[in-house]
Amino acid sequence: MDGRDLDERERSLLDLQSWVVDAVQHPFPLTADSELAGRIDRVIGASARGMGPAERLDVYREQFWLRHLSNLRDHFPTVAWALGPDPFEKLSAEYLREFPPRTWDLHQLGADLPAHTASHAPWRDDVLACDAARLDWAFMESHVAPDASPFDPRLLSCARDDAWPSARIGLHPSVRALTLAYPLHEVRRALKEGRAAQRPSPQRTRLVVWRDARCSPRDVAIDPLAFALLTELANGAALGEACQRAAGAEGNETNAAAMGERVSACFQEWTAIGWVSAVTFAV
Amino acid sequence: MGFREPHARHVLATHPAMDWFEITSENHLAGAGLPRAQLDALRADYRVVPHGVSLSIGGADPLDAVYLQQMRALIRRIDAPWVSDHLCWTGVAGIDVHDLLPVPYTRQMLSHVIERVRSVQGELGIPFALENVSSYLEFRESEMLEWEFLTELADRADCGLLLDVNNVFVSAYNHGFDARAYIDAIPPDRVVQIHLAGHTQKGRYLLDTHSDHVRSEVWDLYRRALRRLGPVSTLIEWDANIPTWDVLAAEADQARSIRDEIRFGIEEPAWTGAT
Repeated sequence: MDGRDLDERERSLLDLQSWVVDAVQHPFPLTADSELAGRIDRVIGASARGMGPAERLDVYREQFWLRHLSNLRDHFPTVAWALGPDPFEKLSAEYLREFPPRTWDLHQLGADLPAHTASHAPWRDDVLACDAARLDWAFMESHVAPDASPFDPRLLSCARDDAWPSARIGLHPSVRALTLAYPLHEVRRALKEGRAAQRPSPQRTRLVVWRDARCSPRDVAIDPLAFALLTELANGAALGEACQRAAGAEGNETNAAAMGERVSACFQEWTAIGWVSAVTFAV
Repeated sequence: MGFREPHARHVLATHPAMDWFEITSENHLAGAGLPRAQLDALRADYRVVPHGVSLSIGGADPLDAVYLQQMRALIRRIDAPWVSDHLCWTGVAGIDVHDLLPVPYTRQMLSHVIERVRSVQGELGIPFALENVSSYLEFRESEMLEWEFLTELADRADCGLLLDVNNVFVSAYNHGFDARAYIDAIPPDRVVQIHLAGHTQKGRYLLDTHSDHVRSEVWDLYRRALRRLGPVSTLIEWDANIPTWDVLAAEADQARSIRDEIRFGIEEPAWTGAT
């Protein structure tokens, strides 16, 4: 399994536990599986209260599904809303069979759900559900991202003007930028606040999700130019290069002077709300 | 009391009179964001004890070195007096089912767990305790009773025990053993902490749900435990259908008053006959 040389004791323990883990992930009640019944009876005793061995093991199987389906429902509220209860449970169960939990960290349980949704029928044809999966996961990634100290703009007082084009702007680890075909962040916010959510009309949305100074989840839709600049910076481009690419991106045609003003305004705003965590100048 | 998200703001704003708080270790291992900020604030006012659910001390997979490293960092950050997890396994071959699965109580398993407890103690460097779990099945290959296993484990591995009285009650019901015999067999000098919680009747078995008040039978068992163990640090676990803070605090008060009854000898006599 992990490349170790196992002694007999370890091999027998590994065999027993692998078998139990397989049984616990079984999609249907173990009492209905006649193939498993023989081994279950050999390994597990009946209870003093009349529960058979398969019924007893099935308690763990039932809890496995309840726990993980509930976890996915909590972490993907917008997907659950978009699909409705039964299809969401079907998607989740299918996902858990393909991606069984591989870490103790339950925050990571849904890490592959956006990709799974986008690549498997019938979900892949549902743009709303695929968008929702990416949105919910962006919030989870933002929630668990490492901390970083807020950037203090006073540190820039000595920066020379000609140093800015090669400067790299470090973003707070919780900042996530994503484009959506629907303004689903409004739906998610309504759900989180216990309000009824209406199905939105399609509208290309450039969204930023982040964790504010009080560690609360936040989101805001930004304009195409700001979005292009932010994603370039997030990908590690130097400021000058990021500005050029952002200005050249579709729909962002702007002159140099206007671009300079926008960048300056964006930088001040992003620093104030905590998106900027570092500025590094080339030496 | 367990430090749980629904009460975090209340606790941090009002500083209720609690002796200490227990945290679920896994919620704080990343050491970032809201959990980090809340834990730092909590630690400023209270003693905090981490309690894990993912160590998998009875597992066949090697101990998770990264997990232990993160645990060690957490322990240092909050200056924890001790740390605990469960006598169980949680998965194998890289799959984690996020449940506290019972181990077969065999001599082989005992050696396996002792070896791993020693290793964990060496890694973490503070007292380490294992909790008895609620269980719903028994392995036919078991050679020892659960409390015999725990007692020998604590002695030979030189570790502490976290006695979950509700878990004793739930397992006793499910497996048909005498919960009082279990309590009476636990070595007092090994018990560092007690857990109390509510459970749910699910037809022919009890499920450890942490979703309700501690049942009267469990309070009775708690009295029995305290008479044997002395005034051990006690924690109320309530993790589902979490009630208002006042309801939880009242549950903790009840545990405190039982502890005082036992400590100061003011408990009602068990007999009622007139003389």
